[in-house]
Amino acid sequence: MSTTSNSSQASASPGRWERVRDSYMWYSFKRDRTAQLCLAVFICMVIAAFASPLIAPTNPYDLAQIDIMSSELPPFWIDGADDRYALGTDAQGRDLWSIVLYGTRVSLLIGFGAVILQALLGVTFGLMAGYLGGRVDTILMRLADIQLSFSTLMVAIVVGALVKATMGSAFYSQYAVMMLILIIGLAEWPQYARTVRASVLAEKNKEYVDAARVMGLRSKRIMFRHVLPNTMSPIFVISTVQIANAIISEAALSFLGLGMPETHPSLGSLIKSGFDYIQSGSWWITLIPGAVLVVLVLSINLLGDWLRDVMNPRLYKG
Amino acid sequence: MIAFLIKRLMHAILVMFVISVLAFAIQDNLGDPVQQMVGQSVPESEREEIRERLGLNDPFLVQYARFARNAVQGDFGYSYFYREPALEVIARHLPATLELVFAATLIIVLFSVPIGVYSAIKPRSPISRLFMGVSIIGISIPVFLTAIVLIQIFAIGVTVTLFPESTGWGAWLNAFFSTEGNMPSFGRGYDLVNVVGNWDTNLATWNGLQHLVLPAVSLASIMLPLFIRLIRAEMMEVLQSEYVKYARAKGISMRRVYFVHALKNTMLPVITVGGVQIGTMVAYTILTETVFQWPGMGLMFLDAINRADIPLIVTYLMIVGVIFVVTNTIVDLIYGLVNPTVKLTGKPA
Amino acid sequence: MTFKKTLLASVIGAVVAGTTLLPMTASAETLRIGYSADPETLDLHEQLSGGVLRFSHLAFDPLVRWTKDFQFEPRLATEWEQVDETTMRMTLREGVTFHSGNEFTAKDVVWTIERLKESPDYRAIFEPVASAEAVDDYTVEIVTTEPYPLLLNLATYIFPLDSEFYTGETDDGSDKAEIVKAGNSFASRNVSGTGPFIVTDRRQGVRVDFERFEDYWDTESEGNVSNIVMTPIAENASRVAALLSGGVDFIDAVPPNDLDRVREADGVNLIEIDGTRIIGFQMNEERVEAFQDARVRQAVDLAINQEGIADRLMRGFANPAGQFSPEGYSGHNPDLTPRYDIERAKELMAEAGYEEGFSVEMIAPNNRYVNDAQIAQAVANMLAQINIKVDLRTMPLAQYWPEYDTRESDMAMIGWHADTEDSANFFQYLTFCIDEETGAGQYNYGSYCNEEIDALVTEADSETDLEKRNEMLREAEAMLYEDVGFIMLHWQNLAYAAADGVEVEPVVNAIDFPYLGDLVVKSSDD
Repeated sequence: MSTTSNSSQASASPGRWERVRDSYMWYSFKRDRTAQLCLAVFICMVIAAFASPLIAPTNPYDLAQIDIMSSELPPFWIDGADDRYALGTDAQGRDLWSIVLYGTRVSLLIGFGAVILQALLGVTFGLMAGYLGGRVDTILMRLADIQLSFSTLMVAIVVGALVKATMGSAFYSQYAVMMLILIIGLAEWPQYARTVRASVLAEKNKEYVDAARVMGLRSKRIMFRHVLPNTMSPIFVISTVQIANAIISEAALSFLGLGMPETHPSLGSLIKSGFDYIQSGSWWITLIPGAVLVVLVLSINLLGDWLRDVMNPRLYKG
Repeated sequence: MIAFLIKRLMHAILVMFVISVLAFAIQDNLGDPVQQMVGQSVPESEREEIRERLGLNDPFLVQYARFARNAVQGDFGYSYFYREPALEVIARHLPATLELVFAATLIIVLFSVPIGVYSAIKPRSPISRLFMGVSIIGISIPVFLTAIVLIQIFAIGVTVTLFPESTGWGAWLNAFFSTEGNMPSFGRGYDLVNVVGNWDTNLATWNGLQHLVLPAVSLASIMLPLFIRLIRAEMMEVLQSEYVKYARAKGISMRRVYFVHALKNTMLPVITVGGVQIGTMVAYTILTETVFQWPGMGLMFLDAINRADIPLIVTYLMIVGVIFVVTNTIVDLIYGLVNPTVKLTGKPA
Repeated sequence: MTFKKTLLASVIGAVVAGTTLLPMTASAETLRIGYSADPETLDLHEQLSGGVLRFSHLAFDPLVRWTKDFQFEPRLATEWEQVDETTMRMTLREGVTFHSGNEFTAKDVVWTIERLKESPDYRAIFEPVASAEAVDDYTVEIVTTEPYPLLLNLATYIFPLDSEFYTGETDDGSDKAEIVKAGNSFASRNVSGTGPFIVTDRRQGVRVDFERFEDYWDTESEGNVSNIVMTPIAENASRVAALLSGGVDFIDAVPPNDLDRVREADGVNLIEIDGTRIIGFQMNEERVEAFQDARVRQAVDLAINQEGIADRLMRGFANPAGQFSPEGYSGHNPDLTPRYDIERAKELMAEAGYEEGFSVEMIAPNNRYVNDAQIAQAVANMLAQINIKVDLRTMPLAQYWPEYDTRESDMAMIGWHADTEDSANFFQYLTFCIDEETGAGQYNYGSYCNEEIDALVTEADSETDLEKRNEMLREAEAMLYEDVGFIMLHWQNLAYAAADGVEVEPVVNAIDFPYLGDLVVKSSDD
């Protein structure tokens, strides 16, 4: 169990502790084919997405390259395909392969950005609630309760409308990526806060915390320098799941027309724009970005599963 | 117990208050409802008159106070689009959503319990591994994508020509993987049977059930894997416990141990999580209903956002807030009944 | 839901079927309609809306009505002649009775016109009419303040009301004739018209029931619908589903994404009609100096492939346009076809000194017109060809109009349908130099101003010689075409759908008010 290992190793230097952990992870990783495959797929997708300007045959943001007359061309294995467009084109005549690459980049950016924001908010609030306790704890956790009792999607829709209302819709669409990071970040911080709080409560009464307190360290320092490192493994495990969730949330918002605009599409807005054409037989416009989204999220989720098994952290349940 | 209920009531009131203030704060920027209520050649002066009459020009606090006063009396205002009381509009859309959630819940319960239990009892069997693999794929597919794939396969149809059609086996495989489509994927159908009031049910006719299948399956797809994994995890933990070992040692049949003793203790956390998740499912219906054009509350809510139908948006959010609080309360009550050691008045753990 | 199969109904149905055992005959057909909107009120003059106008054609008759090819068809007025520059004499149909049993005479027409002039929604439209006078029981003279060529167009909005029925006081002492907007007036609840159908029951927002009027004057009409059940189904999806599943026989406004679905479905027919709503873009000359240069505007027009949009994005559900007036309209000029020539557009940009191009912001709605957001995106892509970089924002209708009114963007999409079914209306609202006083150019987003065109259209509007007037409007269209005061894209089609046997095609028209009195339903048992 992690509790025993944590307390017994708390006195050891963090560097060595990390190395031990790493070597176990490495050992487990070497034996786990699924984890290897997932990591490979995930890294490939990240590289492809962020190198999309180099890889993509066309630049979908360069509107001058788009020709409406070559719209809805099928992918290469179907009759009527055009050699220039390996995966076909969408309803506007954009090369699907290029736009999917760029779209993946947008989705990843929002996913990672939102999780960083969630973690910052959640860890801070969780530490405060767990360590300070009392009224701060009650207020923060009640807030988290209320927010969690609504689903992320609902919160995101409402937060999105709020942001739009205060900043104006012109501003919103100009900084759509930032806005979505903000919305999804604000909507899911309680996940972190609860987990961190639970771990803090477990750590709080351990000897090393008492010792630090006796030594006269300020609570901020104790929280961030001593308690936080010992709650890292649940945070780490949650983060993988949360990245996958954030990517899905973004896709859902965009699918509802409340996220990325079609001129600057993420995978979700690509799926949305293609859905209008599925009835007329052009399934590839929606299902190809859909498949990419699934592979991306699946590889992250499987990595998260593996991490959970390896680290075996105490996660907050229910 | 009573203290607990009062506390919950306060909680509910707080939630509704926050929602109503938020919804009121955003209303100005959702758009101008008057634009949609008059013809294109009606001059600005007439529009101003209507705006004045609807009280849209009053200061924020005045508008909010008016809303709150009426809301307390059960009057949430008129939907701008439907020209009906917002509560009635929601009441009309509610049965469709509830039936969808009910059908999805049924699917979840029917599949998650046996699969979860089986893969806990035999964690190493290939079938368990398959279930676990499929369930993580299920978690990774967003609900709207599941819906789209279902539509493509079962409503539109897929023609596979991957295998050589000239050979017998190729033709057979092509036919095997091709689907005809024709499953309804659109709306509730019109063979609905009126139960009572404005509740028309899909559950009473073949046509109605057919319309329900795809939306319910796609809605269930998001929760099913979660429940399978949850039941499996809880069950495995229970099977390790002393009393199960004791029961086994006493010579009680394995079947009885699994399905009576272990399952009963597994269900406790499952009910807690499940109750909350079913509340969440009401929100997921926004996506499912949009894809299948299922005329329930979710679709209505999204339309209301696009139409800036403020009274309807506010009312919907408040109703959903109440649904969440109520399900959470019921879950806690059940939890308290099943497990008396939980003190209902207790602070969050 | 509306088409409940209540237990009661099925019991009655079983009893009826069991006792008569006869197929429904062709002379007694019930038509179940699912319209996107129901009449907001039964008072025709309370609200000018599609729902109320459609209702008007059921329970009332206009003096004249439009035919499919935009000619006037006599209804309650049988003949008309221009007595002098400002006076038109109309002969009314004899032997017409109202639903109340009162006889229809000239005094009802006069009374109706006077009421129209008091209606907030119609006041502006009936501004040109000075007075109306009954010469005898079946002759009425309408006088305009100035020579006004569109009086017959206005007459399509005159549905004579039963003046006797609507005169007097109600029990609680209010005037039966009063017009109360969104209120509870006598006229908003009670109907007496001359139309083919009588309102038998109405539950606002739920359904309106009609029964054929036995003493209907038009005995030559082949219409055989005996009862109508009209249900408003606002959600597009539910409306289509209602038709496909046989819950209703006839729906309007088939949403574009469902056209294929309806077209291919068994047992229902899609009826597409060339529409008269022009979809286009306005260029904001106040904000973008380049748009003040006619060469830049021409270049924009040349860079846009109207045919491509109509063919690809709209899948043929639109006719590419080079002018405001669709075919059949007074000012339609057959010479003005859409232009598309990228090379020429680039030359013009260079000539105007904008070879390097410039950036503009564009706004468009995303749920108002058929495929509006996709069209806007396609236009943005096309403009990139001539180095105009477009920053596009699309939004739901509710946010679009307030945004449009601020005129704080550089290009804006708009669709326009002329209430008068006349070419001049387009110019007056969309391209006239803005004049706050007269309301001219109320929807001229870009502050485009060409006084020559304005003068010509204004002159045309007081020219009672229709041949001459048409020539002037055609000229105005040609001038606008040269000067590119508005980027025309296409006229968006209308789509109805009906079950097999419901012969909707002859009674629907581009004006979007089906003449259901003449609808023939062939029973499937025949």
